[in-house]
Formats: sequence, C-alpha cells, structure tokens
Amino acid sequence: MDLQYSQSDQDFRQRARAWLSTNVPTSPRPANGHGAEQFDRDWQRKMYEHGWAGVSWPKEFGGLGLSGLQQVIWYEELARARAPHYINTTYVALMHAGPTVIARGTDAQRAFHLPRILSGDALWCQGFSEPNAGSDLASLKTRGVIDGDDIVVTGAKMWTTDAKHADYQELLIRTDPDSQRHKGLTWLICDMKSPGMDIKPIRTMLKDEHVNMVFYDEVRVPLANVVGEINQGWSTAMATLSFERGIGFIGDQLELYERVGRAIDMAAKIRLEDGTLAIDDAGISQKLASLKADALAIRAMTLADIAETDRSGVPGPKGSMMKLLVTGAHKALSELVGDMMGWDFLEFDGDRSAHPWTYDYLWSWVFTISGGTSEIQRENIADRVLGLPRAR
Amino acid sequence: MYLAPDGDEVDIANAAGGFLTEAMSIDRLHASAGADMSAALRRQIGDMGWFALALPESAGGSGLSSVEHALFFREVGRHCGPIDVLTQCLAAMVVDDADLRARIVSGETAVALAVRDGSHMRLLGSHEATHAIEVGQDYASLTSLAGIDIEPRPSLDPAMSMRLTPVFAAPAGSDQSHIWRMGALGTAAMLVGIAEASLDQIVEYAKVRETFGKKIGSWQAVRHPCADMAVRLESARSQLWFAAAAMKEGRSDAAVHLDAAKLLANQAAMANADSNIQLHGGIGVTDEHNAHLFLKHALVLSKLFGAKRSLLGRLLHACVED
Repeated sequence: MDLQYSQSDQDFRQRARAWLSTNVPTSPRPANGHGAEQFDRDWQRKMYEHGWAGVSWPKEFGGLGLSGLQQVIWYEELARARAPHYINTTYVALMHAGPTVIARGTDAQRAFHLPRILSGDALWCQGFSEPNAGSDLASLKTRGVIDGDDIVVTGAKMWTTDAKHADYQELLIRTDPDSQRHKGLTWLICDMKSPGMDIKPIRTMLKDEHVNMVFYDEVRVPLANVVGEINQGWSTAMATLSFERGIGFIGDQLELYERVGRAIDMAAKIRLEDGTLAIDDAGISQKLASLKADALAIRAMTLADIAETDRSGVPGPKGSMMKLLVTGAHKALSELVGDMMGWDFLEFDGDRSAHPWTYDYLWSWVFTISGGTSEIQRENIADRVLGLPRAR
Repeated sequence: MYLAPDGDEVDIANAAGGFLTEAMSIDRLHASAGADMSAALRRQIGDMGWFALALPESAGGSGLSSVEHALFFREVGRHCGPIDVLTQCLAAMVVDDADLRARIVSGETAVALAVRDGSHMRLLGSHEATHAIEVGQDYASLTSLAGIDIEPRPSLDPAMSMRLTPVFAAPAGSDQSHIWRMGALGTAAMLVGIAEASLDQIVEYAKVRETFGKKIGSWQAVRHPCADMAVRLESARSQLWFAAAAMKEGRSDAAVHLDAAKLLANQAAMANADSNIQLHGGIGVTDEHNAHLFLKHALVLSKLFGAKRSLLGRLLHACVED
C-alpha cells in the first residue's frame, strides 16, 4: 500500500499544469447551440495541436497512451485549471466511439475516424436507447435489412445527446428480425448527413434541447460501417459501455472535491434569510464537511481502482459503485447550495454559465438516469460484486 | 501508488484473520461470560505479538506501520473484538516504564480505556484492568487504578464492560498526537470490519433464505439496500487505506484523511449494521443472532477517537495535497 507518484507521474502533472495554466480558454462556453459546438471543437483542436488529445487512447492510435494514474492526474489538473467541462459535444467521440473503434473496428475505420475524433473535426452521438428500450436496452427494435452493400435502417432512437451537432452516430440496431433480446444486433457507424434521418429535439427540464429523438426512414448505411460482426452488436455495445463505466466518469469523480471547495468558499460569503452567514449554520456546515469527506473517499476509491486496473490490465467491477457515489454526492451538493442561495437559486433561464448551480441541480437527475440509472447500477452491483441470485 | 493490501500486508491480514477466528469468534459474545477479554485470551494475543505490532522495535515491538495496524484492526472489527485489544496496543506506546510495557505487551497487565464524560470518567474494557489510559488529540497518559472508586454500569455493548469513576488527575504527557491517530485509525479499521461483516452476513443469508418461493436476494427490495451497503463499505475502506498509507508516509495531510476515514467508517458501520438487522427480518432482532452485536459495538466505536461533530468541524476547513 503506498501513495507515491513516480517521478514521471510528477513530471507529467507539472507539464499538464503548466500548459493548462496558459491555454485554458478565458471566455465562457456558450450555453448551447452552434456556439457551444464551435467552442468545443476549438478547444479540442487546441489540445490536439499541442499534443494533449486522447489521454485514454493508446499511442499507436494517436492517443497519449497514459496509464490510468496519469489520466487521473490529467483530470485533476483540468478541474484545478477550471478548464472547459470535458462532458461536452466531444464526449461520445472521445470516450465511447473512439475506444470502440480502436477495440473492435477495421483498419480502414480506424484510419478514417480516429484522427478526425482527436482533432475535433468529427463529433459523435449515441444511438442506443429507444422510446421503448432504455434500461432494458436489449429490447430495442430499430431494424436493419441488408440490401446489396448497405444496411437499410428504419426505426427511432431516443435521448441522443447533441444529435444536431454530431457528424457520426454509434448506432445499435436489430439486423436479425427473428432474434430475441441480445442476439441479432449490429453496431453501425451512421453518417448523420445520411438521407432519411430526421432529428426532433426533446426539451428537458433544464430548458435546453441537448437530447433528441432521431428517426430513420430507410437510411442506407454501408456494410463497411459495421463495427464488430453483423448480429454480434451486443458484444460491441458492451465494450462501448465498459469504456464509460471504466474511465468515462473519472473527471466527475475528481471534480467533486473542487466543487465542494467552491461551495465552502461561497458559504463563507453568503447570508441566509435571517442574516446568518451560511457557514455559521451548523446544518449547512456539517453537510458541506460531510460532502468533502465523501469527495476524498471517492478520490481514494478512484485511485484504488485505477491502480488495481493498471496492474491487472482488466477494469474492475467498481464503475457502478463509483457512478452511484458521484451522482449521489453531486445531487446532495446542488441541493445544499440551493438551500444557501435562497431566492437567487430560483432564477434560471437555461443558461448554464449564468446560473451554474441551478443548472447542475437540474442536471443531477440527468446524471442519475443517463448512462445506466441508479437502479440499474444497483442491479449490476448485486449481480457482479455481491453475486446475489438474479431476478431477471 | 497502490491502494490495497499487497505482498506481506496480505499475509499479515490473513494471519490475523485466521488467529482471531480461532481465538476470538464472535459467538463468544452469546456466552454469559462473553463480555471482555479473558485473562487467557489476553495472554494468547500477547504471546502472538499482536499488542506490539506497531510498537517501535526499540521499545520491544515489531516496528510495523500504520498500514499493518489498520489491517489487523479491520480483522478485529470483523470479529466484534473488544476495545481492549486497541487499548493494550496504545498503552504499550504510552508507557515509559519498560517493565510495565513488557507486562502490557504480554497481556499480563490489563489496561482499560478512560473517556471523559462530564464530571465522571467512563472506563471501557476489562474489569481486570489495573491501569487505564486516557488519550486526547495531543496528549496520552497512563494511570494506575489502585485506590480509585469504581462503579460498574450496565453496558449496551456485550463486547465490553463499562464502569464509572470520578475524574482522576492523570499525569500530563508530552505531545502524543501519534497515540490519538493510532487510536483513530484502529477504531476506523474496526468499524470498516463491522461494515464488512454486516454485509457478508446479509449477502450469505439472502442467497439461502426464501420468501414467496424465491431467494430473498433476487428481490430488488433486498438487492438494492445490499448494493448500497457495498458502496458505503467500498468508499469507507478506500479512505481507510488512503489514511493508513498517508500516516505511514508522513504526509502533511494525513490527519485530514484520517478524519475523513473515521467519519466514513462511523457512517458505514452504523448504516450497514442497521440494514443487516432490517433485511434479516424477525430473526434479526433476536438475541441469539449476531446482527445486533455489530450495531451495539459500532455505537461505541463511533464515539471514540473522533465522533461526528468534531470530525465535521475539523474537515470543513481542512485541505489536502495532490
């Protein structure tokens, strides 16, 4: 048991900190729309041009080939530098699609897509969930029929984040009409400019339209765009999701400590309705301190898991635990800050930059539902960590 | 960077677990004379060297670190081991007299833990104790109990005796913050052990007990609270390892990580002991079952070496290194 960072890890932290201190954008990210998309592409391109793109990707595919621990360091430094939040329009490309293409794609797919993702030229969105297939993903119905060199796709996908900005979509469909559940699915790369696609925004409780329904009316996708085997798409999709559970939330885990610190700073300045400084209120200060302890423990758990994974080469089953802890703490922190801010917290027009805490409060439900609901995470833990008898 | 038992650490934890299962099974607490360590058990633990695990070699100990200390006390916690085990270890670190230290380390002399409670002191641990230690955040002292009025009190926790004495003036020790920290780390580790043992017990039961024709472990009403127990445990245990390693390496923020570890261990042990009773159903509230033993012991341990309010007060403005 030790907490030592090697010399090269320490050097890496200093290099990252130095670069970020002079290169993090000074202007705030536009709340949404084309401005937000352009901001994300520009920031990604800047990181790419300075050799900071693809922290989790292997070197042979253009990434930095960092160890898990160095990735942790990178996300810690991003949070410290208050860099643009890494969950933005580049997230699916960098965290899901790229790693999936690296793991299961053809050489041609890798050669075409990976450089475009790293440079911010190609943004991706996800097409897994459907109106009647969310937590129960394997019940999806969007169908694909092979016709010559194409697969012809018809159906609908749901909750597709940033569909309007994306260039490509990771699309999971049913190619064997007689198949049940996990069998007979195929994972496709779908060009978002394909004829026959229609995107309808879903307005959320955050007053934004970052998620969409996507309709497919006989959309032709080349067979060359199948990632993995035809009718073996479940296996490819599980690889995709494992990247999210494995590394996708590292940044949130580490950012929490910074955010708790900001809330404590705020509590020292803000006055409650009766004129008391928020930090002098025992209920508030105890909850803040408790959240700080949670943030430290989440960091310790991340480091424990990463070190184990770096040694064994296989991600452990702790991703579900981490997601429950992080999303729970996120929600508790937002609620607490709302309590401190009083009426100011109730001013909101959907602008994340202008109303960050209210936005994060509303986001907390997106966080506990998307990427596997808290209930599904508990099922995963019961099955994979505790080995309890299965109900399903 | 590696935050889990590794190499020799695993061997020590396994050796401790095996020894305690033989010598100090939790079932002992169902016997009428179960409370307190017997003189024979104290000697046995002493003979094995466990009371001197983290005592410096120059003082006749094994000279191992806070990490081995935490690993040992996690096993003690899993067996609902009495606070006496920790008290003996800390007393050996406090005492200056080499002869007395040798008797404490061997288990020949029993030491109780004295805790201030208003105008009284509570003595926790063996009724055979001839000495007591009092440990504060920056002081620690050992006192002979000879001539002090001692009144027995009924103890909720079957794993220890509780007695009341007037406040006795203990000789002021020099800066002994190390003793407090080893006490906090030891109790945090015992609480993590309780959180673990509570989870293990309900998971085992959920795999065999049936209701409505199915194993209860297949019902989400049982599965999800079990998953929450696992999450609480994992975060408390990770922070415990972090704190133990931070102390070993002399990091400047070790005390902060220790406070967080104790807080999370308090919470995990109490909540897991609670869920373990509830998810067992009726059998969980019977005296013959072990579930209540974890809860009652956790109640005591979560008050010692850092309870909620003091921990939160310090954590609010505390900062950590990278």
